[in-house]
Amino acid sequence: MAGRVLVVEDDDRLAEYISRGLLEQNFTVDRAATGRDGLFLATDAQHDVVILDRMLPGMDGMAVLKAMRAAGVRTPVIILSALADTNDRIEGLTAGADDYLGKPFSFAELLARVQALLRRDKGGPAQAEAAVLRCGELELDRLTRQVRRGSRKIPMQPREFRLLEYLLLHAGQVVTRTMLLEAVWDYHFDPGTNVIDVHISRLRRKIDDGEPEALLRTVRGAGYMIAAG
Amino acid sequence: MLRRLASSTVARLIAAIFVLQVISGGAAIGLLRAKMLQVIDLDRTRQIVDLRNELLGAFYAGGYRELASAVAERRGSVSDPLLFVAVSGHGKPVLSHLAAVPQVAAGDRPVRIRAYHASGGPPAEALALAADLADGTHLVVGILTTPDRHFDLAFVEALALVIVLTAGLALGGAMLTGLVVSRRAHAIAETAEALAAGNFAARVESSGFGDGFDHLGRQINLMAERIDGLVSELQSVAGGLAHDLRSPVARLRAAIETAQAAVPEGAAQDALQLALSDAEVLEAMLAAALELARLESGAMADRRAPLEVRALVLDLAELYEPLAEQTGVELVASGVPATVLGDRELLSRALANLIDNALKYGGGRIMVRTVPAEEAVVIEVEDDGRGIPAADRERALERFTRLDNARTRPGAGLGLATVAAIARLHGGSFSLGSGDGGRVGDAGGGQAGGLVARLRLPLV
Repeated sequence: MAGRVLVVEDDDRLAEYISRGLLEQNFTVDRAATGRDGLFLATDAQHDVVILDRMLPGMDGMAVLKAMRAAGVRTPVIILSALADTNDRIEGLTAGADDYLGKPFSFAELLARVQALLRRDKGGPAQAEAAVLRCGELELDRLTRQVRRGSRKIPMQPREFRLLEYLLLHAGQVVTRTMLLEAVWDYHFDPGTNVIDVHISRLRRKIDDGEPEALLRTVRGAGYMIAAG
Repeated sequence: MLRRLASSTVARLIAAIFVLQVISGGAAIGLLRAKMLQVIDLDRTRQIVDLRNELLGAFYAGGYRELASAVAERRGSVSDPLLFVAVSGHGKPVLSHLAAVPQVAAGDRPVRIRAYHASGGPPAEALALAADLADGTHLVVGILTTPDRHFDLAFVEALALVIVLTAGLALGGAMLTGLVVSRRAHAIAETAEALAAGNFAARVESSGFGDGFDHLGRQINLMAERIDGLVSELQSVAGGLAHDLRSPVARLRAAIETAQAAVPEGAAQDALQLALSDAEVLEAMLAAALELARLESGAMADRRAPLEVRALVLDLAELYEPLAEQTGVELVASGVPATVLGDRELLSRALANLIDNALKYGGGRIMVRTVPAEEAVVIEVEDDGRGIPAADRERALERFTRLDNARTRPGAGLGLATVAAIARLHGGSFSLGSGDGGRVGDAGGGQAGGLVARLRLPLV
């Protein structure tokens, strides 16, 4: 799973924290402290993901991103920004970013998003278009909109269906609450407390209750993961 | 349109112009009438003087006999039915177009008299001239002036026509002026409205006439430039502040997480967990405060689009329903469909705030609904909790206000202030009331019926 990540961040301590976390996950990490250096390293196109701070000395993150895209570098980019309201997010995404994360963030959130981008880049498209998504004996048919586990047919509300579909598309991968909220509900704010947890609990009751193996797991301090075996 | 025009300044101006036009039209017609009557009178005078001279000619040629026969046989001008002659002094008077001899003293100038015409009827108005001849003959010649009335009638008709035409033109002028004036005034008002809604790029277009409207437009544009400048400044200050404050918090959090990975379970781990949750609260407060500052400055892109409010309400209710059920609260969503111009993200955030509040401070039942109002739709979130006393409701909308019962719960005290700011950005309003059908400002506490939060949004 591991790959090569470029971290463009001018705050040494934050860059250190991100790099150390990624190294622990067996990623190879390159670091740049200015926009100019970041752009220079990124145009090599040797990286699997670029983590780009938005406010950088000299050349700011948005300029780096635009220059990268103009130079034909297709490497997925996650923007980190202290400016995290919806306008900034949209501005970032329309400039060619693949994801956008507001500061401060938890490392688990960043890691989950980096992994989601890696997965999407490596053989993701085939899965994204698959008609039937599977995890162990759990099957979700995207055409007939039916879910079954083994021989048991599981009735689903439309939202539960989309929730499970998203989890299955990211099977074996940690998915955070924020990622779910953005992808399944299209909200970009924190609805507070444990709104998403309760949705997951409901879904879990439907697919895992009475089964010998639990497929939908909680990853402490990070989010959720659906995986078999 | 017409009603609005009637009550406007333009209408008063037009009414004044109308009155002045009628007065000047009437004066012109009056003068014309006087002049025409003067000309006609001169003409009549000439006619009767000519007639007298003609008859005097007959008298001097053949004396009384010739005169009398000229009159009796209606020779020459005497035949004109409007002219009349009376010859008296020699027995039975000789009359032409007359029933009786008019009483007129001899003189050089014609006088106004009333004469009995041969055709009968009441005496008619006439102009007459009398002469006493050498043999005692008394000659009276005159002309009927009755047609004067016809003139007067014609003039009254003309005056009426002037009034009708003037009224029509004045009304047309009013419509045209009103349209032009109101179009330009509304263009300026729309720009001001766009500015108020946060679109600081809005400018008034100049017509190039250099009139009062252009002056007003220029001043509004100057004001907009200034606001635009201030807002961009605020935006960069807010951005800088966000960077300055959020980066240390990010580092704080990073340090805590790093420490957590290194420390085994136990007292230190528990303390770090507490520190982490406090860092998260700090993060949330910072985010909320910055968000509110941006909302209140209106310094954000206008992403409003036609939005169906009931669907928005149902979506949010669906998001919170499992949580409500788990907390033992019944969450019911209902209402009428209504379309507003709205920012889905912001309105969802406002509604999430209200539902979250109701879950925290309400009772066992939350009702979310859309209610039709005059040219607006109201999103109501009603709970059956203890409510907020009427005296505290205004204060609850202020930033950093936390009412007593909220002190023990997490939160930054920015939620309702944020909802109010979002309502204002949409040209709507936000208010709190008590659940027993009361309005904001009711006397008495909200103890009985819980709280109703009302988010009012204008319809498209």
